[in-house]
Amino acid sequence: MSPASWKAALCLLLLVGCRSGQETETESRGSSSVVSRPDAGKPATGDWLISHSLSDPEQLNPLTSNDASASELLQYIFQSLLTRDPRSLELKPLIAVARPAISVDRRRYTFTIRRDAHFQDGTPLSGEDVLFSIKAIKCPLVNAPFLRVYFDSVVDARLLDEFTIQFSIKEPYFLNESVLGGIDVLPRHYYDPGNLLKDVTLADLRKPADQLSAAIKKFADDFNKNFSRNPMGSGPYKFQSWKTGREIELMRDEKYWGYGKAGVDQPYLDRYKYRIINNLDAALVTLKSGGLDEMNLNPVQHKRGTGSERFKSEFQKYDYFAPNFSYIGWNNEHPIFRDKRVRKAMTYFTNRKQMVRTILFGLGEVVEGPIYFFRPEYDKSLRSYDYDPKKGLELLQQAGWSDSDGDGILDNVVDGRKVPFRFEIKVNAGNTTRKSVALVLQDELKKHGIAATVRELDWTIFLADVKVRKFDAILLGWAMSVNEPDAYQVWHSSQAANKGSNHISFKNARADRILEQYRREFDERKRIELYREFQQILSDEQPYTFLFVGKSVSAVQRRIRGVEVLPGGLRSIDWWVPPPAQKYGQRLTAN
Amino acid sequence: MASYALKRLLLMIPTFIGVTLIGFLIMRLAPGDPAELRAAGGLGGASGAGVSLEKRGAVDEAVAQWRAQYGLDRPVQVQYALWLKNLFTLNFGESFKDNQSVWNKIVERVPVTVKLNLLSLMVVYLVAIPLGMYSATHPNSLGDQVTTLAAFVLFAVPLVWAATMAIVFICGGDFYYLFPPAGLASLDYAEDWPLWRKFKDQAWHVFLPVLLMSYDGFAGLSRYMRASMLEVLSQDFVQVARAKGLEERLVIFKHVLRNSLIPQVTMLASILPGLLGGSVIIETIFSIPGLGQLGYESVLARDYPTVMALFTVSAVLTLIGILISDLLLSVVDPRIAFGRRLQ
Repeated sequence: MSPASWKAALCLLLLVGCRSGQETETESRGSSSVVSRPDAGKPATGDWLISHSLSDPEQLNPLTSNDASASELLQYIFQSLLTRDPRSLELKPLIAVARPAISVDRRRYTFTIRRDAHFQDGTPLSGEDVLFSIKAIKCPLVNAPFLRVYFDSVVDARLLDEFTIQFSIKEPYFLNESVLGGIDVLPRHYYDPGNLLKDVTLADLRKPADQLSAAIKKFADDFNKNFSRNPMGSGPYKFQSWKTGREIELMRDEKYWGYGKAGVDQPYLDRYKYRIINNLDAALVTLKSGGLDEMNLNPVQHKRGTGSERFKSEFQKYDYFAPNFSYIGWNNEHPIFRDKRVRKAMTYFTNRKQMVRTILFGLGEVVEGPIYFFRPEYDKSLRSYDYDPKKGLELLQQAGWSDSDGDGILDNVVDGRKVPFRFEIKVNAGNTTRKSVALVLQDELKKHGIAATVRELDWTIFLADVKVRKFDAILLGWAMSVNEPDAYQVWHSSQAANKGSNHISFKNARADRILEQYRREFDERKRIELYREFQQILSDEQPYTFLFVGKSVSAVQRRIRGVEVLPGGLRSIDWWVPPPAQKYGQRLTAN
Repeated sequence: MASYALKRLLLMIPTFIGVTLIGFLIMRLAPGDPAELRAAGGLGGASGAGVSLEKRGAVDEAVAQWRAQYGLDRPVQVQYALWLKNLFTLNFGESFKDNQSVWNKIVERVPVTVKLNLLSLMVVYLVAIPLGMYSATHPNSLGDQVTTLAAFVLFAVPLVWAATMAIVFICGGDFYYLFPPAGLASLDYAEDWPLWRKFKDQAWHVFLPVLLMSYDGFAGLSRYMRASMLEVLSQDFVQVARAKGLEERLVIFKHVLRNSLIPQVTMLASILPGLLGGSVIIETIFSIPGLGQLGYESVLARDYPTVMALFTVSAVLTLIGILISDLLLSVVDPRIAFGRRLQ
């Protein structure tokens, strides 16, 4: 599995803090569950795909890189033990022969590795490479702290024979299979030519950094420095060149081990070229004049500038969900927002449908909970809090809010003190979408006697305030997991303390029990049941006002076939071009 | 002269330390944290800043590890001292983004930026000097007023707007496709192309960025030229030259022009750092991988070593530029004699 799918596979929750100019990712129109069909016909090899990239990736080392541009490229070069079926999102084997054997106590995972895979330089892939990969991840001097946190619970890894590897885990957790299956297999002979980690065990790597052996230090030093721009793995595409600020090129590996193998992705395009164009206007112009085959459009480009007949005849636009949602987080310990009736009222005051129409240009959909709608865990029966200020006011009255002193602002007695309904919404500076949401809400609340102020803060300062819970209300986003979700870190009451991710201090005993049970439950049906109940609790409590999921729009040149909108977005490995329509390069002779 | 030069050289050391110290402090005091940015997935990702919170405690630890690896956990003054120490061995350190040598990253981009800046300087001088001469020799004529107005209108046009308009209207898409909207070479550009084809391709790509980088320089330089030439024109020796019957062309080009170029020598001070400074706006809008773009991206990513290196290079060039122009002034204008006054 690629680093790109890492985050999804590991159900990483991302606190998303989009900045204005880059808000482009998350937008679109259309309905949530329509998945378009690819064009019929037998795929052919040949032709190139010229894609757009807004900036250079930081680096192309699969372990130390931590940016999205890099992940997109690395997914073609590296492969993991397991991968996901793009439609069902279920785990399936890739470098492993099958899904792992799991011991009865759920603490040992044994993977058998396929014997027919080899790296791009022709060297056969074996268990040694997998073992090396986990050692490299766990090595505390390797500059991969952001990846390493997911492997905290892996205490040991050993080869049972040349093609069998066994991992030992601290405690049972249903996502361990996905975590271990997601390890990118790096060629040991290439990334550690001196075999410096040969006799090192995972236990050795747990020592403090200053007690590590000289060999480990040397390995980490070389690994951090020497592999930033020359990735090599077992995937279908080989790294070809990187001209800084201009383009990156990948070439289909003619000796790829996976050709014709069932259940393994078949590559068709001969080359991927990523043109680096820092400016979206210039990129669109380049697209229109044939210099790009595919790009992400921002909402304005989608609405205006890509509607002409000429554009439509050359490009097809696809919109798909960018799996992260925005929300207004109410500080659940705030004297005003402690009462769930008040939080519910706030959701009734928030005209989310209109916000999607006007702020997102229709490119998005209102959500009622944190689970992605393509997931089986998603509860379709969740009550929808449509805009209804009357209901909101009723709820506020029930909670005791009224304008008793006639100053135009509601007040109430909380903890024996008279409190006016005044609060502050914090947003991170530069995010125009979030600021607009806050301003629309502020305007609406004013009509009902609630004085809200909007304050913009620089991201790091904003984040610091969030961590120490110094806010009344905040506007933020989380990534939604395309794969099995685990909401423990965001909603469990233990995470409310100590700067945890439950920054709004949501505390619910039943929810806590569900979240704990869910992590240890290996039966998917039971997990689904648990999470449906959990979503109902959230819906009733309204700790957040859940806002919307944005959509992305991509324009793809019409000669390209096999384009399909999947739960995870577009997937260009499946794309191909019929031979008569091929534009670039000479067709390679058939594989 | 020599002792003056030496004294100036020695004075550059404290100036340099002061300049870099202030630069260092400004950078560190500005909000933003490279470790948090990396935790968020860098800037390459479209969604910009954000922080993975799945295991927030663990991420905090990861951030701390990362900081320690780059020495960011030490006090700022210690970091500055270390940086200065490395600098004396010409070691600018490694980039936070990819662990590559900062020096190599800069060297890789120097040719692009120098080429663009040299061309644009040439355009500015080739247009502005004759323009200023024309204005000075025809003061307050209609031509003078029109060209002056035009130069000032151009000066007032925001570069971002002009460049965006150019991209939308004359770089393909729905309108005219006269110039490419991005990059410095065609996609299929190959080293084995014949020379003329390479030249043609590059010229085509460079034309628009250079033109846009130049237009706002016309006003300033032509006004300087006009003013200094008018001053020279009013002097006695010009009267003498005319009186002895010299052709007007000879008076202008041989006597007036040469004398009125003296003040332009001071402009050299700004040219030298300008050559490497790069145009952040143009390089970013036209996706040109030069130093301006590098600087911009590094600031956004809080890539401190790269930012500091670029800052240092331009500080050094500015100091050298000032020194050279001061020394040159005494060469072209013998009335300025620092050395002798010191004695």
